[in-house]
Amino acid sequence: MSRGGNFGSIELTLREKLIRLNWEMFVIILLIACIGFAMLYSAANGSLSPWASKQMFLFSLGMVLMAFVAIIDIRFWLKLSYLVYGFNLSLLLIVEVLGSVGMGAQRWLDVSLFQFQPSETMKIALVMALARYFHGLETYDVGRIRFLVIPLFLIAIPIILVLRQPDLGTAGVLGLLGAVMLWLAGVRLWHFFGFALCVVASIPIGWQLLHSYQKQRVMTFLDPESDPLGSGYHIIQSKIAMGSGGIFGKGFLSGTQSHLNFLPEKQTDFIFTMLAEEFGFIGGTSLIGLYAILIFYSIFIAYSCRSKFGRLLAMGLVANFFLYVFINIAMVTGLVPVVGVPLPLISNGGTALITVLIGFGLVMSCWLHKGIFINRRGAA
Amino acid sequence: MTSRVSFESTNKKALEKAKSRLLFGGTLVAAAFLVIAVRLVDVTILNEESRKNTIETRNVTAGIKMSRADIVDRNGILLATNLRTPGLTGNPKKVIDPIQAARSIVQILPELSETKLVKQLSAKSKEFVWLKREITPRQEYEINKLGIIGVDFKYEEKRYWPMRNLTVHAVGYTNVDNKGLAGIELFCDEILKENQKPLELSLDVRVQQVLRREMYNQIDKYKAIGGSGIVLDAETGETIALVSLPDFMPHEAGTATDNEKFNKATHGIYELGSIFKIFNTAIALESGKVKLDTSYDARKPIYISRYIIRDYHAQNKVLTVPEIFIHSSNIGSALIAAEFDRSLQQKFFTDLGLLRPSSIELAAKGTPKPPDNWKKIYRMTVSYGHGISVSPLHAATAVAAIVNGNHYQATLLKKDNKPVHGTKVISEKTSLIMRKLLREVVLKTSGRSADAADYLVGGKTGTADKSRGGGYDRSKLISSFVGVFPITSPKYVVIVNIDDPKQINKLRPTGGRVAAPVVGRVISEIAPLLGVFPVMVNAPDIKGVSLNNQTNQSSRKQRIAVN
Repeated sequence: MSRGGNFGSIELTLREKLIRLNWEMFVIILLIACIGFAMLYSAANGSLSPWASKQMFLFSLGMVLMAFVAIIDIRFWLKLSYLVYGFNLSLLLIVEVLGSVGMGAQRWLDVSLFQFQPSETMKIALVMALARYFHGLETYDVGRIRFLVIPLFLIAIPIILVLRQPDLGTAGVLGLLGAVMLWLAGVRLWHFFGFALCVVASIPIGWQLLHSYQKQRVMTFLDPESDPLGSGYHIIQSKIAMGSGGIFGKGFLSGTQSHLNFLPEKQTDFIFTMLAEEFGFIGGTSLIGLYAILIFYSIFIAYSCRSKFGRLLAMGLVANFFLYVFINIAMVTGLVPVVGVPLPLISNGGTALITVLIGFGLVMSCWLHKGIFINRRGAA
Repeated sequence: MTSRVSFESTNKKALEKAKSRLLFGGTLVAAAFLVIAVRLVDVTILNEESRKNTIETRNVTAGIKMSRADIVDRNGILLATNLRTPGLTGNPKKVIDPIQAARSIVQILPELSETKLVKQLSAKSKEFVWLKREITPRQEYEINKLGIIGVDFKYEEKRYWPMRNLTVHAVGYTNVDNKGLAGIELFCDEILKENQKPLELSLDVRVQQVLRREMYNQIDKYKAIGGSGIVLDAETGETIALVSLPDFMPHEAGTATDNEKFNKATHGIYELGSIFKIFNTAIALESGKVKLDTSYDARKPIYISRYIIRDYHAQNKVLTVPEIFIHSSNIGSALIAAEFDRSLQQKFFTDLGLLRPSSIELAAKGTPKPPDNWKKIYRMTVSYGHGISVSPLHAATAVAAIVNGNHYQATLLKKDNKPVHGTKVISEKTSLIMRKLLREVVLKTSGRSADAADYLVGGKTGTADKSRGGGYDRSKLISSFVGVFPITSPKYVVIVNIDDPKQINKLRPTGGRVAAPVVGRVISEIAPLLGVFPVMVNAPDIKGVSLNNQTNQSSRKQRIAVN
């Protein structure tokens, strides 16, 4: 607890915050984003439009937003948590009612610059709400089952809304995120596993509720060769493209499988495949390495937080980020079913990019305010 | 106090639990990264199977890296190449509706039987069946557009000869497995298989085209059964054109007749008649035993053994050596040949390469048939080209040796300015006399139709009865002409043989009537292609200038100056 000596009790001035801000994190994020710009440039066959230029603009905007979020006092975010959650939930409801229909699913609200996806920001909102809830709980209360009812609702409501869109991937991520938060909050193991058992038991029921295309995706995952021209096409083409990249890849803008459109959705979900085709194993592992640095750095921040809220918030956000990275790469390499999860900071998509940057802004805020003790009500 | 301690310890325990769970989470993350990294190794590096399926490998292995090198002419014009041809295949295990699939395919490939297709595509035990080999790209596109699952294409390499029958006797052909069966394709089979670089031939398709067209027209006109023609670079031995008619399509070699496949220019051996008087006269002059003004009595036929030697263009007078040559007197030639002993003639013929198979890069090479022995009677008949059979290529090579003094091995491969080694056959002096005599033939005899304007053609006619059984058939001829141009410093030899031309207007279809005009027309067309300058012999400034190397050079200079 005395890692920072008496630093922990000191309230930092704005100047000090700017000095202590995790600039190295900025650099890593910028590096990853630059790889993203290059891949979007390549995905458009060597053109800044339609993806790379817009992504660059949104990224610069997001970086400013990230710094802004980082220097705001963590207690402010604590107080804002439920509000953010509530606001986001209402946005999801609005999408349910009048969202524009895209790719067979209602996910977007059309704002002028980009189509806003409330399900993306919901992940942050959920983490914030859960962190706030468990922060406010007495240690011994966490072990009581009745105190788990509220967080389970907090988790379940957005999942149901997102499933109705329908977006299996995001719903799954929200579920996993909720589980991670419960785990970190210290929920008893048998509660945890008991609940997991319930989930497993409910799979047959859930299966009935799935859309046929979602069932198809899972079935295809189990045997991609069974439908080489349909749902298995993505995975087979993805593996062919990666395999053709080999160790060093074919070179920038030279990935034939991607450029000749054998590879679907190369600017979003399958952008990692294109990276692996053009820069090979070396390129792929370099990006994964950068992600790993970013993630472990964030875990370190979570670990060094004095407040429970800070710890839960930072760890929840990094879990969110990690789930994106892992699921996307596992998906394109054929380890998990194709669930439509973008590669953070790389894939084309405004909401996801801004969300990830705001998330890291919050993580940095945790770092800048790591020494501050916050009582259960949110006061210092 | 106790409660407070326990409260604090609970808090502390909770914190430790939280931190240990956090660390456990971090460990899980690390493990997950490891899993991804291992998977990435598997997918990108160890994934051999996928690599085979990329668009490049499907293209590259069948497209660029050919199993057989191209063949090109001396100017790089493609004579033989490989085409990637699609074939239609099926995987019955994947075909969903064989009946529907067969119906759609038959729409595009009407030559296929629908019932047979259904049967092929229904054989669920198989994973691969050939539906049709060698379909066109258009058909491939149409079938691909149908998008039938389980119907695919397999690409094969097919040898293709863009010049079709034009160069078939030189280039040859292959079987379906791309193994050379004739011509260069056979002779250079190994080289073509090992190399990726195109094989450059000495042929010039432009010259080849001119020669073939003119021969074809003449054969048609005289209702001949065939013929052969060669354009030879006299200074290197390179074969610029090589024609044998009739010819055939290399793509359909299987259906060609033996006569069409027979290479009359290199494989066929013929008694070429008076063309041999060139060699006889050269031996005589080179031996020193005969002078230009030595004269022989050619008034009576020669009776020797059971043969009679007589003249077609009987002059009925005493003839000098040039007269014997120009008027093509058999009697005179035989009398000259009688002057020198057998070893001289034999040695000379050997030097000219007339007694062994040619060195040309073809398997289809005729072995010359010299007389059984070199007794006097045979020495006499050989002097005017009877009793000895050689291929037209032999004759062309030997004539080239006479006009420039050196003998060069005939070749079909481009020499590319590499030094060529000739063997000295006759002196420059004899060679010069022979050139003058050849020019005289073109200026003063039936060979004049070979005189392409201003290209200074020299040459000799040859009209030989076709041998049949033990004797000769006077009604069937091999009519030949061998031309050399420019005779002042010979660059090219053109030989044309027409096999069994028929009479027109009751005129005997001699070499002068049938073959010489072909040579004349060919030379007037190919000389500009080959970069030979015309010399205006009738221009006032050079008229009457004697024809030898030096004067020719000066006259050429003058001509340029005049122009």
